[in-house]
Order: sequence, then C-alpha cells, then structure tokens
Amino acid sequence: MRRRPGIGGLQTAAAARDQYRQLGENVAKIRTDLMKEQLTTFRTQLEDFARKHKNDIRKNPAFRSQFHNMCTKVGVDPLASNKGFWAELLGIGDFYYELGVQIVDICLATRPHNGGLINLQELCSLLRQRRKSDREAVSEDDCLRAISKLKVLGNGYEVISIGKRKLVRSVPTELNKDHNEILELAQAKGFVTVVEVERRLSWTTGRAIDAFDTLLDEGLAMIDDGHKDGVRRYWFPCVSSISTPVGADG
Amino acid sequence: MQKLGDFKLPQFFNYPPYFTLQPVRDTREKQIQLWKDLILDYCKTHHIFVIGLEDQDFPLFSNPAIERSLTYEAREAFLSALVAQGRAEWLDKSRRKCLVLWHRIQDWANIVLDFVKDNGLEDSVMTVEEIRTGIESRGTELHGIDRTVLMRALKMLEQKGKLAIFKGTTADDEGVKFSI
Repeated sequence: MRRRPGIGGLQTAAAARDQYRQLGENVAKIRTDLMKEQLTTFRTQLEDFARKHKNDIRKNPAFRSQFHNMCTKVGVDPLASNKGFWAELLGIGDFYYELGVQIVDICLATRPHNGGLINLQELCSLLRQRRKSDREAVSEDDCLRAISKLKVLGNGYEVISIGKRKLVRSVPTELNKDHNEILELAQAKGFVTVVEVERRLSWTTGRAIDAFDTLLDEGLAMIDDGHKDGVRRYWFPCVSSISTPVGADG
Repeated sequence: MQKLGDFKLPQFFNYPPYFTLQPVRDTREKQIQLWKDLILDYCKTHHIFVIGLEDQDFPLFSNPAIERSLTYEAREAFLSALVAQGRAEWLDKSRRKCLVLWHRIQDWANIVLDFVKDNGLEDSVMTVEEIRTGIESRGTELHGIDRTVLMRALKMLEQKGKLAIFKGTTADDEGVKFSI
C-alpha cells in the first residue's frame, strides 16, 4: 500500500492500521482456538492413553510417576476426587486411599520406637513388606502422593527434609531449627554426642543439652551409656532403619 | 536376623540404646515392655526357670555384636516389672535370683491335671521326681520342670483336694497320691 501525503494519506494509514489490528486479533483468536483445540485433543489422547495403559499404570511405579507428571502438565489431577472419569477409569483414587490407610497404620505401629518421625525409605520398605501379596508395586513417589492426600484430611502428616533424607512426621511435634540440625548430624551414624554437637555446630553445652532434652521428651531420641568410652550417645530411631543392623563401633 | 541357637532375637536387641535404662517415662515403659516379653519368650523356649542377676553368661544380658550389656540396675528393673506383673518371683531378699513363671502356677497346675488324665493316673501314687523326670513326662512340658515350681503347683492342687503330698521313704523325696 503506497503511502500518500495529505489527509487522504492519513485516512489510508488509519485504515491500514485498523486492518492490521483486526488481522492481529484474528491471528490471536486463531492461536487461542488452536491451543484450546490442541489441549482438548491432548486431554482426549491422555484419556485414551490411560485406558490403554491402565495395567501398566497400576503395576509400574516409574510409569505411574511419569503418567502423573504428564497429567500435571495438562492440568488434570487424577486424584482430585474419588468420583469422576479418572477415578472410575483407573481406580487410582482407591489405590492411594488404601496406601494412605496403610501408611497411617505403619506410623502408628512404629511410633513407640521412633517417636512419630520415620524415615521415608523405611516407611516404603515396611509398606512393600506389607503389600507383598499385592500385584501393585509401590514407590517413594507413591508414598509422597498418598501422604499429601492425608494432609488434606488434617491428620498432621507431613514430609520434612533433613539433610539428604526425607522424614515423615505423624505427630504434631514441631521441630525447630536446632532440632533439625541435630537430626541432620545424626544421619551419619544414627547417633550424636554432646561434644560432637558443640564442635560441629559451635553451640554451647547448655544449648545442646536443651535440644537433646526436648528430643528425648518427645520420644524422638534415646540415650545410650553403654559404650566402653563412657560417653553418652543420643540415638535417633527415625534416621536409622530398625531393620538394618547397627555396627559394633556405634 | 540374629539368632541364639534357634531362637530369633527381636530387632530391638540390636539397637544399642535399649541396653540403657531410659530416663523418659514413656520411652522407659515401652522399653520395659519389650524386655519383659523377650525374657518370658526366651525362658519358655529354653525351659529356663531361674535367672541369676549376676550371671554373666545369660545370653539376653548382653549382645556382643553391638558391644552392649545390661547394667545390673536395668536387669533388676526388667525382672521387677515381671514380678509386679505376677510372671516372676524373687527367690531371695537381696534380689539376686529370680524365678521366671513363663507359665503361671495356675497354668502348671492345669498341666499336671492334664498329665494325670492323659496317663490314667487318677488314683495312683507317684514321686515328685517321677512326675518331673519319669518316662511319662517325656515330651511334655513337665519334663525337667523346676522342682520349686512343681511343688507350688502341686500344693495348689492339694488345696483343691485333687491330690495329697506325703513324705517318701528317702529324706529328700516326696510322693503324691492323686485323687482326681
């Protein structure tokens, strides 16, 4: 379009701008429509996929985890409700519900030993032992999802990270930063001593003993005066697995 | 899992803090419960009736694999808990020896009654030694039973009129006349 000087030229320019704008809006609309259509197609394809691979999703934890990731990307939450298409198609709602119940059970059963804090790894291991007869394998990812659903029920179940490990908390005990630091130190050998805490964290003896006393009172720690060096050790059942043997130098 | 002979030891036996008497009440109560069960279980499996607190060889008192042993205080605490529960008795005032009743005296009395009926001894006479070690006792829980425990069970039955105890021909043996 050739620009012409003068009012006529301005009017032409305005008309041109209008047309461009309209074109732009159309393109935007086409893009949105296209996206919506793509999304719907994607959702349908996801549903088809789920139908076809129902068994794999049920049986294979790695596959299941990937499937969940895909769902998240598309904005679908198969666990959002126990009813509806996804729950009925996959029965996955039941799977996680059942897992949740078993997890609560295990946490209650181990609470006398570990004070209500359990290593995620150990929890999964105990879960798998329980479900040996079931055809559906269980991964740590599954555990975490089940626990996040438990949270919704307000049971006080939470996953906390201490150092390299994840711990599942099933009691309302609040751990402060000092407690967390001790737990993290304890992960190396399953126990710590007062001197170790003083040295590694640069705490006073008083601060260390205070923290230990709270952890003892909460049932998260146990004392051990039996080592031949006579130094008291504080053991934390939640960072070691009761099923793995403790070394003699402990 | 660690074993003592054929006996399967529970997981807690390998966890060092369980060998130290815990100061926090709730934790200590759980600890005591675990040890009580272990002691009863072990004694029942091995037919042990008497535990000497100073006995260094009693396998439950120490675990060499983790280099831990129960202090005297801990041993006394666990056995006292069993006594309080009626599953053990101190044999001396200084609490150095403990009689473990992995069967209560009442249960032993019933076992004696079953033994008598099973062997058709309803009107017979037997010596206490025969009840303990005779042929008929082989294969039953009565075989090798601690004499003190057996006498207590027999006396309980005597009070119920099921039998009569009398002194035997030798100074150190007694006999029983059943009248069941």
